[in-house]
Amino acid sequence: MPKVAVYWTGGCGGCDVSFLELGPKLLDVLSQVEVVFWPALVDTKRQDLEALPGKAIDLALINGTLRTQENVEMVEVLRSKSRYVVAFGACAHLGGVPGLANLKSREELLVEVFGGGFRPTPPPGGPSEHALPELLPQTLPLAGAIPVDYVVPGCPPPPALIADLFERALAGDLPPAGHVFGKDKAVCEECPRKKEDRKLDKIVRPHELQPDGERCLLDQGMICMGPVTRGGCEAACPKAAMPCTGCLGPTPKAGDPVLAMISALASLVRAGEEGEAAFSAEDKVLDSLADPLGTLAKYSLPSFPRLARSCVPTPVRRGP
Amino acid sequence: MRGNGFEPKIVAFLCRWCAGAGADLAGTSRLSYPPNAVPIRVNCSGRVEPAWVVEAFRSGADGVLIGGCHPGDCHYVVGNYKTRRRIYLLQKVLAEVGVEPERVRLEWVSATEGARFARVMREFVEELRALGPLAMNQEEKALPPQGGVHA
Ligand code: SF4
Ligand code: SF4
Repeated sequence: MPKVAVYWTGGCGGCDVSFLELGPKLLDVLSQVEVVFWPALVDTKRQDLEALPGKAIDLALINGTLRTQENVEMVEVLRSKSRYVVAFGACAHLGGVPGLANLKSREELLVEVFGGGFRPTPPPGGPSEHALPELLPQTLPLAGAIPVDYVVPGCPPPPALIADLFERALAGDLPPAGHVFGKDKAVCEECPRKKEDRKLDKIVRPHELQPDGERCLLDQGMICMGPVTRGGCEAACPKAAMPCTGCLGPTPKAGDPVLAMISALASLVRAGEEGEAAFSAEDKVLDSLADPLGTLAKYSLPSFPRLARSCVPTPVRRGP
Repeated sequence: MRGNGFEPKIVAFLCRWCAGAGADLAGTSRLSYPPNAVPIRVNCSGRVEPAWVVEAFRSGADGVLIGGCHPGDCHYVVGNYKTRRRIYLLQKVLAEVGVEPERVRLEWVSATEGARFARVMREFVEELRALGPLAMNQEEKALPPQGGVHA
């Protein structure tokens, strides 16, 4: 029976819960694998993992961003014990929502959250392993610390993609390493909404508009990342009248989703007839894009360091 | 800031119909302007992608100039309008990651405006001298390994 491990690092728990969305298929899967390590489901500790012989695990699914030194150590142990490692979910794939913290330095974050006097110390007299793990200078996607074989993208991953991974793994039919379980074409191509009037004369946030049921959300002024985002979710969000936020990551063609989306938006924005007279009105439309980086780089900031600044000059320290 | 020894590096994307021709005219008219820019000729300013601007910074540029035709004069009618909106958005995003938006400069220069091109170059170099080297590139060596599997 194939041995499976599931682990979370700096995640929200949503990825662990996402397995439930497999429905009855989950029972099929669980009856065909042996779960050797899954802290969210069974009582397994780091020592149990360390006690396993090398490559004892066939498939390790790791979700969450890498935020602490302990995260890095754990995924290194998992890597050494596993034949295949899967970055599961947007955090492990790209850095995810917690990756937006990379806009601040570690020191700025500690002050922001805990106030100026915060000093993480072990409890007085307590054993030193009770010390809080050190924060990394920046959050990292999984591939920032260990080699990753596959990616199941999404925040959390759509059930069809999870099922695809298990079906292929159980059939001994895994694709070549580097495969991302998802489509190469964009969300727009699986979205049933009608794209016609490709002009934006306003930009609205989802709560400001009750969108027309049929028309493309981007055409109605919502920032929908569908044009630059990998398909595989069957456009679940746009179908439910919510714009795509880009959780499956960019299509292979799009590159940095922020920059690709800037180009797309610039082409679409209009304030009447184009020309010098419209410049300030066009700028107003663009100004109404609230939180540009938080919107366009919601999941991807740590993966595109060509845009992000690096805050503190210490790269990841390798575990023991 | 003159005399601190800092000479900013500039990548200049110049459209072939207007700004590029203007730069040529500045040269053939023997106008003097600082030699800090590496010119890259493009067919239209509308061809300049945000990724190129970021790439220029990542390759060591301290400033990026995009030169296009005056409004109404674009050889491709609307290319310069599109690039204006792009640069406007890009500047917002760059500011959020700690790159001063003034490091990206969009200028309209016609084929007859050699003097204007020389003036733009002088001004831009002065401004960049005052801003100093791009901090992001100073930190470059400290970047963590490129993560994520984008393949
Ligand atoms: S990818 Fe989304 S669902 Fe999964 S841990 Fe990160 S934030 Fe949570
Ligand atoms: S609603 Fe979004 S995903 Fe659907 S077509 Fe429009 S931009 Fe694409």
